[in-house]
Amino acid sequence: MNASGSRNPVSKFMSQVWGSIFRHGLPTTDKVAARTALTNFFLHIHPVRVKKSAIRVSYTLCLGGLSFFLFILLTISGLFLMFYYIPSVDQAYQNIKDLEFVATFGLVIRNLHRWAAHGMVITVWLHMARVFYQGAYKPPREFNWAIGTLLLLTTLLLSFSGYLLPWDQLAVWAITVGTNMAKYAPIAGPYTRYIMLGGRNVGQGALIRFYVLHVVALPLIGFILMVVHFWRVRKDGFTGGL
Amino acid sequence: MAVNPYESREGRLHFLAEVTRRQFLLIMGWLGATVVTIFGTAKVLQFMFPGATSEEPQAFKVSVDPASITIGNPLQITAKRTSIVRDDGGFYAVYLVCTHLGCTPNFTTTVTQGTGVADAVASARGERGSQGQPNGWACPCHGSRYFIDSTNFYGPAPRPMDWVDVQFAPDGFLVVDRGKLVVQRTPGDTTPPKWRLDPTTKKDNGQTLGV
Repeated sequence: MNASGSRNPVSKFMSQVWGSIFRHGLPTTDKVAARTALTNFFLHIHPVRVKKSAIRVSYTLCLGGLSFFLFILLTISGLFLMFYYIPSVDQAYQNIKDLEFVATFGLVIRNLHRWAAHGMVITVWLHMARVFYQGAYKPPREFNWAIGTLLLLTTLLLSFSGYLLPWDQLAVWAITVGTNMAKYAPIAGPYTRYIMLGGRNVGQGALIRFYVLHVVALPLIGFILMVVHFWRVRKDGFTGGL
Repeated sequence: MAVNPYESREGRLHFLAEVTRRQFLLIMGWLGATVVTIFGTAKVLQFMFPGATSEEPQAFKVSVDPASITIGNPLQITAKRTSIVRDDGGFYAVYLVCTHLGCTPNFTTTVTQGTGVADAVASARGERGSQGQPNGWACPCHGSRYFIDSTNFYGPAPRPMDWVDVQFAPDGFLVVDRGKLVVQRTPGDTTPPKWRLDPTTKKDNGQTLGV
Protein backbone atom coordinates (compact mmCIF):
# COMPACT_ATOMS: atom_id res chain seq x y z
CA MET A 1 0.00 0.00 0.00
CA ASN A 2 2.96 2.30 -0.37
CA ALA A 3 1.59 5.06 -2.56
CA SER A 4 4.26 7.66 -1.94
CA GLY A 5 4.85 7.99 -5.63
CA SER A 6 1.23 8.79 -6.36
CA ARG A 7 0.29 12.39 -7.12
CA ASN A 8 -3.42 11.84 -6.54
CA PRO A 9 -4.18 13.83 -3.32
CA VAL A 10 -6.95 11.41 -2.31
CA SER A 11 -4.81 8.32 -2.54
CA LYS A 12 -1.97 10.25 -0.90
CA PHE A 13 -4.29 11.05 2.00
CA MET A 14 -5.52 7.46 2.17
CA SER A 15 -2.01 6.10 2.24
CA GLN A 16 -1.18 8.56 4.99
CA VAL A 17 -4.15 7.29 7.04
CA TRP A 18 -3.15 3.69 6.38
CA GLY A 19 0.42 4.44 7.28
CA SER A 20 -0.59 6.12 10.55
CA ILE A 21 -2.45 3.00 11.61
CA PHE A 22 -0.07 0.38 10.23
CA ARG A 23 3.36 1.83 10.86
CA HIS A 24 5.19 -0.97 9.15
CA GLY A 25 4.43 -3.18 6.22
CA LEU A 26 4.37 -6.92 6.50
CA PRO A 27 7.69 -7.84 8.09
CA THR A 28 10.30 -9.23 5.75
CA THR A 29 13.18 -9.42 8.18
CA ASP A 30 13.46 -10.32 11.87
CA LYS A 31 14.28 -6.72 12.69
CA VAL A 32 11.12 -5.39 11.03
CA ALA A 33 9.09 -8.15 12.65
CA ALA A 34 10.40 -7.12 16.07
CA ARG A 35 9.65 -3.46 15.39
CA THR A 36 6.14 -4.31 14.19
CA ALA A 37 5.39 -6.23 17.38
CA LEU A 38 6.79 -3.44 19.54
CA THR A 39 4.89 -0.57 17.95
CA ASN A 40 1.49 -2.22 17.61
CA PHE A 41 -0.84 -2.05 20.61
CA PHE A 42 -2.47 -5.39 19.87
CA LEU A 43 0.77 -7.18 19.12
CA HIS A 44 2.89 -5.74 21.90
CA ILE A 45 1.45 -8.22 24.40
CA HIS A 46 3.47 -10.88 22.59
CA PRO A 47 7.17 -11.05 23.28
CA VAL A 48 9.32 -9.98 20.37
CA ARG A 49 11.20 -13.25 20.58
CA VAL A 50 10.45 -16.41 22.45
CA LYS A 51 12.01 -19.85 22.79
CA LYS A 52 10.42 -22.38 20.52
CA SER A 53 10.07 -24.80 23.42
CA ALA A 54 8.10 -22.24 25.44
CA ILE A 55 5.30 -22.02 22.92
CA ARG A 56 4.85 -25.76 22.62
CA VAL A 57 1.12 -26.32 23.23
CA SER A 58 1.74 -29.40 25.34
CA TYR A 59 3.81 -27.28 27.74
CA THR A 60 1.07 -24.90 28.96
CA LEU A 61 -1.94 -26.51 27.22
CA CYS A 62 -2.86 -22.85 26.62
CA LEU A 63 -5.08 -22.98 29.69
CA GLY A 64 -4.50 -19.35 30.63
CA GLY A 65 -5.15 -18.29 27.06
CA LEU A 66 -8.34 -20.38 26.99
CA SER A 67 -9.49 -18.75 30.22
CA PHE A 68 -8.87 -15.30 28.72
CA PHE A 69 -10.63 -16.29 25.51
CA LEU A 70 -13.65 -17.40 27.54
CA PHE A 71 -13.55 -14.14 29.49
CA ILE A 72 -13.71 -12.19 26.21
CA LEU A 73 -16.52 -14.45 25.01
CA LEU A 74 -18.39 -13.91 28.29
CA THR A 75 -17.93 -10.14 28.07
CA ILE A 76 -19.32 -9.98 24.55
CA SER A 77 -22.19 -12.43 25.07
CA GLY A 78 -22.97 -10.78 28.43
CA LEU A 79 -23.17 -7.41 26.70
CA PHE A 80 -25.80 -8.82 24.36
CA LEU A 81 -27.76 -10.35 27.24
CA MET A 82 -27.83 -6.94 28.94
CA PHE A 83 -29.93 -5.54 26.09
CA TYR A 84 -32.82 -7.78 27.16
CA TYR A 85 -32.26 -8.36 30.86
CA ILE A 86 -33.81 -6.11 33.53
CA PRO A 87 -32.69 -6.86 37.11
CA SER A 88 -36.18 -6.72 38.59
CA VAL A 89 -37.86 -9.54 40.49
CA ASP A 90 -41.00 -8.96 38.40
CA GLN A 91 -39.26 -9.06 35.04
CA ALA A 92 -35.97 -10.95 35.26
CA TYR A 93 -37.39 -14.44 34.74
CA GLN A 94 -39.59 -13.30 31.85
CA ASN A 95 -36.58 -11.56 30.28
CA ILE A 96 -34.69 -14.84 30.31
CA LYS A 97 -37.68 -16.51 28.63
CA ASP A 98 -37.72 -13.69 26.06
CA LEU A 99 -34.04 -14.29 25.40
CA GLU A 100 -34.74 -17.95 24.80
CA PHE A 101 -37.91 -17.75 22.76
CA VAL A 102 -38.33 -14.21 21.40
CA ALA A 103 -34.92 -12.80 20.53
CA THR A 104 -33.27 -14.16 17.40
CA PHE A 105 -30.25 -16.22 18.43
CA GLY A 106 -31.04 -15.26 22.03
CA LEU A 107 -30.92 -18.90 23.06
CA VAL A 108 -27.50 -19.24 21.46
CA ILE A 109 -26.18 -16.12 23.17
CA ARG A 110 -27.54 -17.19 26.54
CA ASN A 111 -26.13 -20.69 26.26
CA LEU A 112 -22.80 -19.35 25.02
CA HIS A 113 -22.67 -17.26 28.16
CA ARG A 114 -23.74 -20.14 30.36
CA TRP A 115 -21.37 -22.75 28.96
CA ALA A 116 -18.47 -20.32 28.67
CA ALA A 117 -19.01 -19.52 32.35
CA HIS A 118 -18.86 -23.20 33.28
CA GLY A 119 -15.87 -23.61 30.98
CA MET A 120 -14.00 -20.68 32.47
CA VAL A 121 -14.31 -22.08 35.99
CA ILE A 122 -12.88 -25.35 34.66
CA THR A 123 -10.03 -23.82 32.64
CA VAL A 124 -9.01 -21.45 35.45
CA TRP A 125 -8.82 -24.39 37.88
CA LEU A 126 -6.85 -26.46 35.36
CA HIS A 127 -4.56 -23.51 34.65
CA MET A 128 -3.87 -23.22 38.35
CA ALA A 129 -3.23 -26.96 38.62
CA ARG A 130 -0.87 -26.82 35.62
CA VAL A 131 1.09 -23.94 37.16
CA PHE A 132 1.22 -25.77 40.48
CA TYR A 133 2.38 -29.11 39.14
CA GLN A 134 5.07 -27.49 37.00
CA GLY A 135 6.25 -25.44 39.97
CA ALA A 136 5.69 -22.27 37.96
CA TYR A 137 4.57 -20.46 41.11
CA LYS A 138 8.14 -20.42 42.46
CA PRO A 139 10.27 -17.24 42.49
CA PRO A 140 10.39 -15.01 40.54
CA ARG A 141 6.73 -15.78 39.78
CA GLU A 142 5.35 -15.87 43.33
CA PHE A 143 3.67 -12.47 42.94
CA ASN A 144 1.90 -13.58 39.80
CA TRP A 145 0.72 -16.73 41.59
CA ALA A 146 -0.88 -14.48 44.22
CA ILE A 147 -2.55 -12.42 41.48
CA GLY A 148 -3.70 -15.72 39.97
CA THR A 149 -5.39 -16.82 43.19
CA LEU A 150 -7.28 -13.50 43.23
CA LEU A 151 -8.29 -14.10 39.62
CA LEU A 152 -9.57 -17.55 40.57
CA LEU A 153 -11.61 -15.97 43.38
CA THR A 154 -12.95 -13.33 40.97
CA THR A 155 -13.94 -16.06 38.52
CA LEU A 156 -15.79 -18.00 41.22
CA LEU A 157 -17.55 -14.88 42.50
CA LEU A 158 -18.59 -14.01 38.94
CA SER A 159 -19.98 -17.51 38.55
CA PHE A 160 -21.82 -17.27 41.88
CA SER A 161 -23.28 -13.81 41.25
CA GLY A 162 -24.42 -14.75 37.76
CA TYR A 163 -26.27 -17.75 39.15
CA LEU A 164 -28.93 -15.55 40.81
CA LEU A 165 -29.78 -13.46 37.76
CA PRO A 166 -32.24 -15.82 35.96
CA TRP A 167 -34.38 -15.53 39.12
CA ASP A 168 -35.77 -19.06 38.93
CA GLN A 169 -36.23 -21.45 41.85
CA LEU A 170 -32.73 -22.85 41.44
CA ALA A 171 -31.22 -19.36 41.52
CA VAL A 172 -33.13 -18.09 44.56
CA TRP A 173 -32.50 -21.14 46.70
CA ALA A 174 -28.88 -21.53 45.63
CA ILE A 175 -28.21 -17.96 46.72
CA THR A 176 -30.22 -18.54 49.92
CA VAL A 177 -28.00 -21.52 50.67
CA GLY A 178 -24.81 -19.74 49.60
CA THR A 179 -25.43 -16.62 51.66
CA ASN A 180 -26.45 -18.73 54.66
CA MET A 181 -23.07 -20.45 54.40
CA ALA A 182 -21.47 -16.99 54.64
CA LYS A 183 -23.64 -16.40 57.71
CA TYR A 184 -21.91 -19.27 59.52
CA ALA A 185 -18.66 -17.24 59.61
CA PRO A 186 -17.88 -16.05 63.14
CA ILE A 187 -18.83 -12.46 64.07
CA ALA A 188 -18.84 -11.05 60.51
CA GLY A 189 -21.17 -13.78 59.19
CA PRO A 190 -24.59 -12.16 59.70
CA TYR A 191 -23.26 -8.78 58.52
CA THR A 192 -21.78 -10.40 55.43
CA ARG A 193 -25.13 -11.94 54.57
CA TYR A 194 -26.96 -8.65 55.14
CA ILE A 195 -24.52 -6.67 52.99
CA MET A 196 -24.69 -9.30 50.21
CA LEU A 197 -28.48 -9.43 50.15
CA GLY A 198 -29.18 -5.80 51.02
CA GLY A 199 -31.86 -7.23 53.31
CA ARG A 200 -32.85 -10.30 55.22
CA ASN A 201 -34.08 -12.49 52.39
CA VAL A 202 -33.16 -13.06 48.77
CA GLY A 203 -35.28 -10.37 47.12
CA GLN A 204 -35.01 -7.25 44.97
CA GLY A 205 -32.18 -5.88 47.08
CA ALA A 206 -30.13 -9.02 46.50
CA LEU A 207 -30.90 -9.13 42.77
CA ILE A 208 -29.70 -5.61 42.05
CA ARG A 209 -26.58 -6.09 44.19
CA PHE A 210 -25.65 -9.33 42.47
CA TYR A 211 -26.37 -7.73 39.09
CA VAL A 212 -24.09 -4.75 39.73
CA LEU A 213 -21.36 -7.05 41.04
CA HIS A 214 -21.77 -9.39 38.08
CA VAL A 215 -21.81 -6.89 35.22
CA VAL A 216 -19.59 -4.07 36.52
CA ALA A 217 -17.64 -4.53 39.73
CA LEU A 218 -16.26 -8.06 39.36
CA PRO A 219 -15.42 -7.87 35.61
CA LEU A 220 -13.60 -4.59 36.28
CA ILE A 221 -11.61 -6.12 39.14
CA GLY A 222 -10.92 -9.15 36.94
CA PHE A 223 -9.78 -6.96 34.05
CA ILE A 224 -7.36 -4.97 36.20
CA LEU A 225 -5.96 -8.15 37.74
CA MET A 226 -5.61 -9.70 34.28
CA VAL A 227 -3.65 -6.71 32.99
CA VAL A 228 -1.21 -7.09 35.89
CA HIS A 229 -1.18 -10.88 35.43
CA PHE A 230 -0.24 -10.68 31.73
CA TRP A 231 2.30 -7.94 32.40
CA ARG A 232 3.98 -10.17 34.99
CA VAL A 233 3.89 -13.16 32.64
CA ARG A 234 5.84 -11.08 30.11
CA LYS A 235 8.24 -9.63 32.68
CA ASP A 236 8.94 -12.95 34.41
CA GLY A 237 9.65 -14.51 31.05
CA PHE A 238 9.12 -17.95 29.61
CA THR A 239 11.26 -20.79 30.78
CA GLY A 240 10.12 -23.26 28.20
CA GLY A 241 10.06 -27.00 28.51
CA LEU A 242 12.48 -28.68 30.81
CA MET B 1 14.88 30.81 84.91
CA ALA B 2 12.55 28.21 83.55
CA VAL B 3 13.60 26.22 80.51
CA ASN B 4 11.58 26.93 77.39
CA PRO B 5 10.43 23.42 76.32
CA TYR B 6 10.53 24.34 72.64
CA GLU B 7 13.52 26.57 72.11
CA SER B 8 15.98 25.28 74.65
CA ARG B 9 18.11 22.38 73.49
CA GLU B 10 17.32 20.61 76.77
CA GLY B 11 13.59 21.31 76.37
CA ARG B 12 11.11 18.46 76.41
CA LEU B 13 9.56 19.48 73.09
CA HIS B 14 12.68 20.73 71.37
CA PHE B 15 12.32 18.24 68.52
CA LEU B 16 9.11 19.99 67.48
CA ALA B 17 10.96 23.24 66.94
CA GLU B 18 13.25 21.50 64.45
CA VAL B 19 10.41 20.42 62.16
CA THR B 20 10.75 22.30 58.92
CA ARG B 21 7.81 23.83 57.09
CA ARG B 22 8.07 21.09 54.42
CA GLN B 23 8.04 18.33 57.04
CA PHE B 24 5.11 19.96 58.78
CA LEU B 25 3.09 20.15 55.53
CA LEU B 26 3.98 16.54 54.70
CA ILE B 27 2.88 15.34 58.13
CA MET B 28 -0.36 17.31 57.88
CA GLY B 29 -0.94 16.06 54.35
CA TRP B 30 -0.48 12.40 55.24
CA LEU B 31 -2.50 12.83 58.42
CA GLY B 32 -5.32 14.39 56.42
CA ALA B 33 -5.18 11.70 53.75
CA THR B 34 -5.25 8.96 56.41
CA VAL B 35 -8.22 10.48 58.21
CA VAL B 36 -10.13 11.01 54.97
CA THR B 37 -9.38 7.43 53.84
CA ILE B 38 -10.51 5.89 57.13
CA PHE B 39 -13.62 8.07 57.31
CA GLY B 40 -14.44 7.51 53.64
CA THR B 41 -14.00 3.72 53.87
CA ALA B 42 -16.19 3.58 56.97
CA LYS B 43 -18.91 5.63 55.27
CA VAL B 44 -18.75 3.59 52.05
CA LEU B 45 -19.14 0.42 54.10
CA GLN B 46 -22.02 2.01 55.99
CA PHE B 47 -23.59 3.01 52.67
CA MET B 48 -23.72 -0.66 51.69
CA PHE B 49 -25.85 -1.50 54.73
CA PRO B 50 -29.36 -0.25 53.98
CA GLY B 51 -30.92 1.42 57.02
CA ALA B 52 -34.34 0.22 55.94
CA THR B 53 -35.34 -2.42 53.42
CA SER B 54 -38.48 -2.49 51.31
CA GLU B 55 -39.06 -6.11 52.21
CA GLU B 56 -42.54 -7.16 53.31
CA PRO B 57 -43.36 -6.69 57.01
CA GLN B 58 -42.54 -9.52 59.38
CA ALA B 59 -46.09 -9.57 60.74
CA PHE B 60 -49.05 -10.58 58.58
CA LYS B 61 -52.70 -11.49 59.01
CA VAL B 62 -53.90 -14.93 57.99
CA SER B 63 -56.94 -14.60 55.77
CA VAL B 64 -58.16 -18.10 56.61
CA ASP B 65 -60.84 -18.76 59.25
CA PRO B 66 -58.93 -20.19 62.27
CA ALA B 67 -61.75 -22.70 62.78
CA SER B 68 -60.80 -24.37 59.48
CA ILE B 69 -57.33 -25.17 60.81
CA THR B 70 -58.05 -28.52 62.39
CA ILE B 71 -56.01 -31.11 64.20
CA GLY B 72 -54.00 -33.09 61.67
CA ASN B 73 -54.38 -30.44 58.96
CA PRO B 74 -51.90 -27.60 59.54
CA LEU B 75 -52.24 -24.48 57.42
CA GLN B 76 -49.27 -24.09 55.09
CA ILE B 77 -48.51 -20.50 54.07
CA THR B 78 -45.52 -21.27 51.88
CA ALA B 79 -45.11 -17.74 50.48
CA LYS B 80 -44.84 -16.39 54.02
CA ARG B 81 -42.75 -19.36 55.11
CA THR B 82 -45.09 -20.14 58.00
CA SER B 83 -47.15 -23.15 59.07
CA ILE B 84 -49.95 -22.83 61.61
CA VAL B 85 -50.50 -26.07 63.51
CA ARG B 86 -53.50 -26.95 65.66
CA ASP B 87 -53.35 -29.62 68.34
CA ASP B 88 -55.18 -30.42 71.57
CA GLY B 89 -53.45 -27.52 73.36
CA GLY B 90 -54.21 -24.89 70.74
CA PHE B 91 -52.39 -23.14 67.89
CA TYR B 92 -48.72 -22.60 67.27
CA ALA B 93 -46.85 -21.21 64.27
CA VAL B 94 -43.64 -22.72 62.92
CA TYR B 95 -41.28 -20.48 60.95
CA LEU B 96 -40.41 -22.64 57.94
CA VAL B 97 -36.76 -21.68 57.59
CA CYS B 98 -34.55 -24.75 57.55
CA THR B 99 -31.91 -24.39 60.25
CA HIS B 100 -29.32 -25.88 57.90
CA LEU B 101 -29.06 -23.30 55.12
CA GLY B 102 -32.39 -21.50 55.07
CA CYS B 103 -34.60 -23.19 52.46
CA THR B 104 -38.35 -23.64 53.01
CA PRO B 105 -39.24 -27.18 54.15
CA ASN B 106 -42.41 -28.65 52.61
CA PHE B 107 -45.25 -30.14 54.64
CA THR B 108 -45.51 -33.90 54.32
CA THR B 109 -47.73 -36.59 55.77
CA THR B 110 -44.98 -39.18 55.36
CA VAL B 111 -42.15 -37.45 57.18
CA THR B 112 -40.55 -40.67 58.42
CA GLN B 113 -40.45 -42.35 54.99
CA GLY B 114 -36.99 -43.62 54.19
CA THR B 115 -35.42 -42.29 57.38
CA GLY B 116 -35.58 -45.46 59.46
CA VAL B 117 -37.55 -43.63 62.13
CA ALA B 118 -40.76 -45.37 63.20
CA ASP B 119 -44.05 -43.65 62.41
CA ALA B 120 -45.03 -43.97 66.05
CA VAL B 121 -42.05 -41.83 67.05
CA ALA B 122 -43.21 -39.07 64.72
CA SER B 123 -46.82 -39.34 65.80
CA ALA B 124 -45.81 -39.15 69.46
CA ARG B 125 -44.31 -35.70 68.80
CA GLY B 126 -47.72 -34.08 68.62
CA GLU B 127 -50.74 -33.89 66.38
CA ARG B 128 -51.17 -36.46 63.66
CA GLY B 129 -53.35 -36.88 60.65
CA SER B 130 -56.83 -38.32 61.03
CA GLN B 131 -55.47 -41.69 59.86
CA GLY B 132 -52.47 -41.31 62.14
CA GLN B 133 -50.13 -40.10 59.42
CA PRO B 134 -46.70 -38.97 60.61
CA ASN B 135 -46.96 -35.26 59.75
CA GLY B 136 -43.89 -33.07 59.50
CA TRP B 137 -41.69 -31.12 57.13
CA ALA B 138 -39.02 -32.13 54.65
CA CYS B 139 -36.50 -29.66 53.27
CA PRO B 140 -36.13 -29.88 49.46
CA CYS B 141 -32.55 -28.56 49.45
CA HIS B 142 -30.59 -31.13 51.47
CA GLY B 143 -33.27 -33.48 52.80
CA SER B 144 -33.58 -32.44 56.45
CA ARG B 145 -36.75 -33.72 58.15
CA TYR B 146 -38.67 -32.20 61.02
CA PHE B 147 -41.39 -33.59 63.27
CA ILE B 148 -44.64 -31.61 63.58
CA ASP B 149 -43.26 -29.87 66.70
CA SER B 150 -40.41 -28.66 64.42
CA THR B 151 -37.79 -30.92 66.01
CA ASN B 152 -35.19 -32.05 63.49
CA PHE B 153 -34.55 -35.79 63.34
CA TYR B 154 -32.93 -36.49 59.97
CA GLY B 155 -30.53 -34.81 57.54
CA PRO B 156 -28.01 -32.02 58.05
CA ALA B 157 -30.25 -29.60 60.00
CA PRO B 158 -28.40 -28.78 63.25
CA ARG B 159 -31.40 -27.76 65.39
CA PRO B 160 -35.20 -27.50 65.43
CA MET B 161 -37.00 -24.80 63.47
CA ASP B 162 -38.17 -21.77 65.43
CA TRP B 163 -41.72 -20.99 66.49
CA VAL B 164 -43.05 -17.49 65.94
CA ASP B 165 -45.75 -15.51 67.68
CA VAL B 166 -49.34 -16.00 66.59
CA GLN B 167 -52.26 -14.13 68.14
CA PHE B 168 -55.95 -13.49 67.56
CA ALA B 169 -56.75 -10.14 65.97
CA PRO B 170 -59.88 -8.36 67.31
CA ASP B 171 -61.78 -9.54 64.22
CA GLY B 172 -61.10 -13.18 65.04
CA PHE B 173 -58.42 -13.85 62.42
CA LEU B 174 -54.90 -14.92 63.27
CA VAL B 175 -51.92 -12.57 63.09
CA VAL B 176 -48.44 -14.06 62.79
CA ASP B 177 -45.38 -12.02 63.72
CA ARG B 178 -42.26 -13.62 62.29
CA GLY B 179 -40.15 -10.96 63.97
CA LYS B 180 -41.05 -12.33 67.38
CA LEU B 181 -39.78 -15.81 68.24
CA VAL B 182 -41.53 -17.71 71.00
CA VAL B 183 -39.53 -20.92 70.78
CA GLN B 184 -35.89 -21.13 69.78
CA ARG B 185 -34.14 -24.37 70.59
CA THR B 186 -30.40 -25.06 70.45
CA PRO B 187 -28.81 -28.09 68.72
CA GLY B 188 -29.73 -31.34 70.43
CA ASP B 189 -32.70 -29.86 72.29
CA THR B 190 -35.63 -32.10 71.50
CA THR B 191 -37.91 -30.80 74.26
CA PRO B 192 -41.47 -30.55 72.94
CA PRO B 193 -42.30 -26.82 73.36
CA LYS B 194 -45.35 -26.03 75.49
CA TRP B 195 -46.21 -22.66 73.98
CA ARG B 196 -49.81 -22.61 72.66
CA LEU B 197 -52.41 -20.07 71.63
CA ASP B 198 -55.67 -21.09 73.29
CA PRO B 199 -58.61 -20.87 70.86
CA THR B 200 -61.19 -20.39 73.64
CA THR B 201 -59.49 -17.76 75.82
CA LYS B 202 -57.83 -16.23 72.71
CA LYS B 203 -54.61 -15.87 74.74
CA ASP B 204 -51.28 -17.65 74.61
CA ASN B 205 -50.01 -19.48 77.67
CA GLY B 206 -46.74 -17.55 77.67
CA GLN B 207 -44.58 -20.70 77.93
CA THR B 208 -41.80 -19.50 75.66
CA LEU B 209 -38.63 -21.54 75.27
CA GLY B 210 -35.11 -20.31 74.72
CA VAL B 211 -36.04 -16.71 73.88
